[in-house]
Amino acid sequence: MDAFLQFFIAGLKNGSIYALVALGFTIVYAATGAINFAQGEFFMLGGMIGAFLSGLGLPLVVAAVVAIAATAAIGAIFELLAVRPLGGGNPLRVIMVTIGGAVVLRQLALHLFGPDELALPAFTNGPSLKLLGAAIERQTVWIWGLTILAVLVLALVYRRTTFGRAMRATSIQRDAARLVGVDARLMVTASFALAAALGALGGLAVAPLTQTAFNVGASTAVKGFAAAILGGLGNPIAAVAGGLILGLLESFAAGYLNPVYKDAVALIVLLVVLFVRPQGLLGGSGRVKV
Amino acid sequence: MGMRNLKTLVPLLAVVALAIVPLLVTDRFLLKIFTFAGINVLVIIGLALLFGHAGQVSLGHAAFVGVGAYTCAYCTVELHWPWLLAFLLAGVFASVGGLILALPSLRLKGHYLAMATLSFGLLMTLLFTEAEFITGGVDGFGGISFPSLGPFEIREASSLYWLVWIVVAIALVGAFNLTSLRPGRAMRALHGSELGAQACGVDIVGVKVRTFVVSALLAGFAGALYASVVGFISPSVFTLNASIAFLAMTVVGGSGSLAGPIVAAILLTLVQYLEALIPGIPRETAQTLQSFQEDIYGLAIILVVIFAPGGLATMWKRRLSKGKTS
Repeated sequence: MDAFLQFFIAGLKNGSIYALVALGFTIVYAATGAINFAQGEFFMLGGMIGAFLSGLGLPLVVAAVVAIAATAAIGAIFELLAVRPLGGGNPLRVIMVTIGGAVVLRQLALHLFGPDELALPAFTNGPSLKLLGAAIERQTVWIWGLTILAVLVLALVYRRTTFGRAMRATSIQRDAARLVGVDARLMVTASFALAAALGALGGLAVAPLTQTAFNVGASTAVKGFAAAILGGLGNPIAAVAGGLILGLLESFAAGYLNPVYKDAVALIVLLVVLFVRPQGLLGGSGRVKV
Repeated sequence: MGMRNLKTLVPLLAVVALAIVPLLVTDRFLLKIFTFAGINVLVIIGLALLFGHAGQVSLGHAAFVGVGAYTCAYCTVELHWPWLLAFLLAGVFASVGGLILALPSLRLKGHYLAMATLSFGLLMTLLFTEAEFITGGVDGFGGISFPSLGPFEIREASSLYWLVWIVVAIALVGAFNLTSLRPGRAMRALHGSELGAQACGVDIVGVKVRTFVVSALLAGFAGALYASVVGFISPSVFTLNASIAFLAMTVVGGSGSLAGPIVAAILLTLVQYLEALIPGIPRETAQTLQSFQEDIYGLAIILVVIFAPGGLATMWKRRLSKGKTS
């Protein structure tokens, strides 16, 4: 029972991170109809920039805020330089550009921060918390808190603000949104910035536990996408649910079967969902209109 | 010069150039570089069909190269089977892998295939690393023997060069026939509009699956050749980075063409070995270029997709037609 609870906690911890990355996929997919293959690199950049700044002696809060802001800016710049020139159109071209962008961002981090793993100090120091015999690291509590906060803020922005309504309008019907005066192109840029900020938050929150390096983006992207599609691509609540489910599956597979399987779980889940139920567990009917 | 003359002249010149290389180049390392270029070209012919003609993105072709390489290595070293049989099995295994991946995922939209192939590639890298009893794990698989046909072992650098490029030539003839006949028209119709192709009676899933399997087959053969030429393989060779390099070669080469991607594959392979190719080049320059290798691939993909979506092939086609009118 103790072991079960411990695996459960670890699963929810990783699952929260996957949820943040999955939300990034969902937001960009809603705005552009394409998958952003550079989403994992935003996660990587958040952790790397934060760890680098904190290594320079900056206070952790400052390093974290700057890292998130810088990654959001990189996301927006990437959209302006590489995605906007395509002028919407064929999603295949958007995908290709984000694949190239993922490589360029990874290499940028390699050239700037070097090939070694960087560490970030824990947000608060102290012994682990105890819950029914299981230990919860303080950083895990931070991860949960920040994820919940991000989801709440996102929900508020989407429901209550003009900006959020414009984002939703663009994702439902781009041309109709433009007819009522929404700057659809700005919304696409904003979606990249927002997705980048969420990814960066995930990268920052997990860096004290796992350390981080320039090359963690691709595997994170696949896990985040597995989470997004497990829930059903394009639905933010489903993306969070998908992230948590994936985290738990991974944790139990690693704990009860073999740690080797941990990384395989997300890949297998991704392939199985794609093959069997591409609309996701929470998606509607499977028919895709042509 | 008319268009038609040029069309027969260019392949002829290419064959002559390829035949001259082993006569001019006596350095074994240089010959090996040109042999590697041939192995990459073999993969790229398949990807040119898949991406350039049928419009499907794969981020996992390094995995098929890996399946071919490990199949060939295991069959020759552990089972002592004849090389030719191992080589053919490498193609069979890779194409079965391609079929298993393609059948379900090609029913979906394009970006799902990209994601499915990406995760398939990562999964296979994991498998190559963990299935130590077959692959030797991270330490790699060494002592793979040279290719042999019956009693003749092919071990000279120039013979290996010839073997690889003969396989490339056979694949090229097959691919060329495929693209100029009905299957090729069906592929190009797909690239234009899937709905339109379907309306014209093209079995779109069938065409996609067959193209994917052919591309996996060629990747498997390339893997078998790589394993036999180098003699040592490890999981670090068949990674996502390699798949992205293949994708960059295909995209730079351009769609709807075989020549473009082949030229791009040769050029982007040679860039890796500038130090050996250009004797006078300063060591630092070569090393800097080497450390920016991946950047070049990433930037090339972005720039070509934004500014020259047709790649090399479209660029020179445009130039040719301009020359004709003036």
